[in-house]
Amino acid sequence: MGTILTLGVIGSFGPQLQTVWAVFQGLLLEAIPFLLIGVAIATIARAWDPRGRLLQRLPRHPLLGPLSGAALGFALPACECGNVPVARRLMAQGAPMGAALGFLFAAPVLNPIVLLSTWAAFPDRPWLLLLRPLGSVLIALALTALLQQLSEAALLAPDLLEERRMGQPLERASLLERRSGLIGSIQAAPPPAVVEPARPSLAVLLDHGLREFLELGSLLLLGCAIAATIQTLIPRDLFLTVGQAPTLSVISLMVLAVVVSVCSSVDAFLALGFAALVTPGALLAFLLLGPVIDLKSLSLFARLFRRRGILLMLAGVVLAVLLIGQWLNLLLL
Amino acid sequence: MAQPAAAVNWLPPLALGFWGAVLLQAWSSGRLNLLLQADFHWLVLVAGLLLLALALLAMRFPPGRRSGQQPALIMLLAAPLMLALPPKPSLSTLAANRSSSDLGESDQALTFFSPPEQRSLTDWARLLRSQPDPELYRGDPVRISGFVLPVAGEPPQLARLTVRCCLADATPVGLPVLWPDGAQPEADQWLDIQGAMGVERHQGGLRSIVVADAIRSIPKPERPLEP
Repeated sequence: MGTILTLGVIGSFGPQLQTVWAVFQGLLLEAIPFLLIGVAIATIARAWDPRGRLLQRLPRHPLLGPLSGAALGFALPACECGNVPVARRLMAQGAPMGAALGFLFAAPVLNPIVLLSTWAAFPDRPWLLLLRPLGSVLIALALTALLQQLSEAALLAPDLLEERRMGQPLERASLLERRSGLIGSIQAAPPPAVVEPARPSLAVLLDHGLREFLELGSLLLLGCAIAATIQTLIPRDLFLTVGQAPTLSVISLMVLAVVVSVCSSVDAFLALGFAALVTPGALLAFLLLGPVIDLKSLSLFARLFRRRGILLMLAGVVLAVLLIGQWLNLLLL
Repeated sequence: MAQPAAAVNWLPPLALGFWGAVLLQAWSSGRLNLLLQADFHWLVLVAGLLLLALALLAMRFPPGRRSGQQPALIMLLAAPLMLALPPKPSLSTLAANRSSSDLGESDQALTFFSPPEQRSLTDWARLLRSQPDPELYRGDPVRISGFVLPVAGEPPQLARLTVRCCLADATPVGLPVLWPDGAQPEADQWLDIQGAMGVERHQGGLRSIVVADAIRSIPKPERPLEP
């Protein structure tokens, strides 16, 4: 009897489990090339500017810093999976935090591929082509200001903090130096006289890039598994039934953006599918929130921030997107 | 004083090599046709080749530290699962969770002018969205293929999935079918249907319905997802 029951239960969940597995594979196989691109850009930046002197010249001004970081998105087009390793490299090389955070939060939207795909999907909504990048910059400025309320020690993941403090790769600094902070300080820009060759060797670069890829890849596995499970088991209609309710529609589409976990270069085409069913504010909220956080990429932030920083970032981005969506609904509805 | 030589850490290059194999196998076996929109296939191929090349290079310069072992181990354990367990999604299960919605406006004019018998299921769905008057199509010959999608409270429809990026954003498009007497279509079964477009009363209005004359079971197509 028990065996029959077990077989019945497995049988009834069979198609859903198979579907979760397929969606998981789809998400992962789509994300890995972009993750590899991000790690490659980060590794090239490390080889090209090992002491981070060029990156450290990015503006430290509270407004110009994030704006310059956001503008880097045009030069380094990558969606949200790819830009985490690049942002991490910016921070590790000693770039001003404002610029690195501006890049992290705005670059997934402020790049030519994403803007072109938004235009291609919504040629009849020019306001969206204007408001998506503008909203993205506003969110980046708000999040940067918010996260900089924490000290770097309270914000950054321990490995990243040590690497940033040392201004050199983790494996080149002794344990004593890393843990004690004898060399460098939190606020200081790069330590001047650290023992480091002008260019890291191929073996060091390779080792670092490989470790970065595997660490982010293992986190991506987790994110894709969660995203695939939730979006297969929860009906998507649940998020779209609120339709024209000004606030609820924004919240629903924000949840959908987090759950669906689609790459920012194609999310506009997905949004096209339900654009007619939801409010303008909800549509914009979907296109703003997904590139910053989703279930697939959320785990990657563990390589950048401590838990407190991640929670603050989540609260900040949710509030900012909700406000932007509601303001737009107030204007257009 | 000379430091003792660190133990060679083979896990990272191995994990990298396995994942290169996963990506190349997905590309070469046609598995990607079931998972990703075709525009992304070349990216997977290039990434797979790069990972393999990097794995070979990493074996030439193996990492000596033990750090990073855990992520490498996780990736190494996941890769064989990806290789051994191919995706076999239930398209009807996937479609049941997602609303059929706007398909965009691409190529509508072309679709409208193509002969009715040459229109695919997706073409028909696009056409019916842009010109919903069912009387326009009454009696038009229909030849479409798709999978059987159960619909609550109604006879099953014939459907396809459209994908912009990957299976995660798959959106179903379905057409109602007036099945011949005795037909017992099963969920996920792939069928080729010949018939004509008819009109039926539905929820107080009129809608187009495919009146099936001949039904033939077909194997799942090589590329079941449509752009």
